[in-house]
Amino acid sequence: MAPPNNQKRVKGVQIHRPFIYGTTAKLFGEDNPKPPGTPADHTHSWTVFVKGVDDTDITYWCKKVQFKLHESIPNPMRMIEDVPPGGAFEVHETGWGEFEITIKIYYVPESLEKPQTLYHHLRLHPYGDTEEAKEAMRRGPDIKSWIYEEQIFSEPYNEFYDILTSPMPREKGGGGKGTRVMKGGMVGSVGERTASIPLTTRPDQPFSRETEKLEIKRLEEARVKVNDLMDKMSDDLKEKEAELDKLKREYNQPGVRA
Amino acid sequence: MTSHDVRDMLDLPGEAAPRPAKKQKVAAPRPVLKGLAREVQNLGGDNPIAIVPEVSVFKKKRFGSRKPAAKWENRSFKNSARDDETLVLKHWRRKDESSAAPSGEGEAVAQDGGVVEDSTFAKYNVKVITPQYDDEQYQRHLQDNNWSKDETDYLVSLARDYDLRWPIIWDRYEYQPAINLDPETAEVAIVAKAENRTLENLKARYYTVAATMMKVHKPPESMNQAEFNLLELMQNFNPNQEKSRKQFAEAAFSRTKEEAREEESLLIELKRILARSDKLAEERRELYARLEAPPSTGNIGVFTSSQGLQQLLHQLMQADKSKKRRSIMGPDGTSPAGPSGLNQQPSFDRRESSVRESTSGPSGGSNNKKGPAQPGPTERRQLAPEEMQLYGVKIPERIPSSGPSFRSEKLQKPITSKSSVQQQKMLSVLTELGIPHRLIMPTIAVGESYEALLGGIATLIDQRKVMEKIQGEINTIKEKKRREEEERAAKMSGFGGDGVGDDRDVKVEEGEREKSAAPSMSDTGGQHKRSASVLSAVSEKSTKRQKK
Repeated sequence: MAPPNNQKRVKGVQIHRPFIYGTTAKLFGEDNPKPPGTPADHTHSWTVFVKGVDDTDITYWCKKVQFKLHESIPNPMRMIEDVPPGGAFEVHETGWGEFEITIKIYYVPESLEKPQTLYHHLRLHPYGDTEEAKEAMRRGPDIKSWIYEEQIFSEPYNEFYDILTSPMPREKGGGGKGTRVMKGGMVGSVGERTASIPLTTRPDQPFSRETEKLEIKRLEEARVKVNDLMDKMSDDLKEKEAELDKLKREYNQPGVRA
Repeated sequence: MTSHDVRDMLDLPGEAAPRPAKKQKVAAPRPVLKGLAREVQNLGGDNPIAIVPEVSVFKKKRFGSRKPAAKWENRSFKNSARDDETLVLKHWRRKDESSAAPSGEGEAVAQDGGVVEDSTFAKYNVKVITPQYDDEQYQRHLQDNNWSKDETDYLVSLARDYDLRWPIIWDRYEYQPAINLDPETAEVAIVAKAENRTLENLKARYYTVAATMMKVHKPPESMNQAEFNLLELMQNFNPNQEKSRKQFAEAAFSRTKEEAREEESLLIELKRILARSDKLAEERRELYARLEAPPSTGNIGVFTSSQGLQQLLHQLMQADKSKKRRSIMGPDGTSPAGPSGLNQQPSFDRRESSVRESTSGPSGGSNNKKGPAQPGPTERRQLAPEEMQLYGVKIPERIPSSGPSFRSEKLQKPITSKSSVQQQKMLSVLTELGIPHRLIMPTIAVGESYEALLGGIATLIDQRKVMEKIQGEINTIKEKKRREEEERAAKMSGFGGDGVGDDRDVKVEEGEREKSAAPSMSDTGGQHKRSASVLSAVSEKSTKRQKK
């Protein structure tokens, strides 16, 4: 049934907002002492989070996030809400095993949208396609498994559209929080409710226009390779077709048949 | 109990004395009165007696503090504003004892030393600063075919004399060209005399001269704001515009009452037409909007039951109502073009009223009742392209479904929508190319190139399929050929004539070969690799052939 309102969707419009989610895990050790009360078999402390790229505010479209952890963890359903603007929706835990975390994102009530689900695999141990990548990760301070994602709102409702396309209403005297200066080369500030992403990559902020460009470059290279393969393949095809033709003609020749 | 209360009880109109008693009580007389006077006063009760003796106390003049009478003297003065410097007039002035104290009017203080004071009014004799120029400057900057230097001088002096009061200057302007002995200049002068200068002519010339001289004395770059504004003003003087302005003003002044009325009515008519055109455009737009309304794609299952239909009807009626209301709200805001002026013109009145009836007919009343309760669809803010980028707003050609989604999921669609076999194939190609199955940054731009890549991969896979098929056919034909040759060889070698036996024999042979397919293939050579599909195709064909 349609939502019980008289609002209309803004037709033909798609709005996206970048955000990141994922986990950061750290082995217990000297620089990461076990907090008291941790079960003896727990080897890692980890955090699962959903937040804006470069800590931009996402709370104006994301109201709360539910993290569904492994059943063996007490109280596995963790609902995180009332996060201050610019903050992260996150859960800190300790454990010893990797598992899949179900992340359910609830939107602000104005959006009138149903929650959506993401799945993320908790990484405690180094991973990667090659040994070098694993080794690099092992040397790093923690195991990060961060995913960049873009939330798309297709044809949002009127009110939500307005929220998404207008600058943040500045409150009087609230200058302290909203106007934090960005660390990276970001256009705008935390308070800006925009879809922009940082221009450059920083160690704790791997997703940026730079990364995007690199990925596009890689895709383009692959595309070139595929195109080459396609050309070669079509040449081969022609060859084969010619061969087939020839064979058919030979075969159908009455002289040979009789 | 006062008379006021009695009146109140009896419901008598008018309040003879709106509660004056209170005032009287606190007022002064009461404590003052003594003895008989008090008794008399009390007789009056609420309504005090008017003949209370009024004790008039006069202020005693304080003669003691009075100063001696001010001394005045007949002082002589001159007026520097006058041309006749020698004239000395006298006026009475208060004499001040301490000569240092000025009489407060700002005049120069000086008496005895033979210097007579200046008149207080001299400062009001303000002279206009007219442009000054010498011969050389005139030659360089101010040459004009229509104006001789003498006449320019004359104009400037006149402007100075009459304080730039242009009508007076124009009135007094009687330039007589100097009779010069030099024939050339005389000629020029005669030409100039023919000119009948208009007020605008005079102004234009004067402003040109003034502006030019101003620029000569001070470059425009170093002028202050006021000076620059003045210069602009003078440079922008347009005599023709002034002339037409005055003509219009004069025409407007001298028009008759009928003309004025007609003009007014025409203006009203114009307003009305404009308002109507607005309304018309609005209606047309609405019509277009209605024509363009997209066909409903929603689920109609809800409306199949009679109850659902009822609901639908209700909904439609609601929508219709709100639409109607809006269409009337539009012109209502603009149509009151000024009914006050319409009373004068009966013909317009009639037309206007008919229009009114047609626009705000039966539903005019409801408009007032429920107008603001339901605001029409508010106009959405139009976003500039850069804003659209900033806020991540995109208008794609096709939106498969509304609602929230994740871009990476969207981008994986071409893969996930395929069958698992196809998916496997595509993924293996991607791995071959070194592209991770999950994009690192699923942005719009990345998505585009990713889609292009997937498209390429899909065609590549298709090509491979076709290739395999052709290869299969080639293999089939080759196989057939080989078999026929064998057949022929068998025919040649053995039993002629007996066709049936021959056929059976082939069959047996085939069966044998099919059992031991692989080794015999490698024996015969030619084909190194044969897929299962090719093999089955061959067997199928051969069985067909047998049936024949």
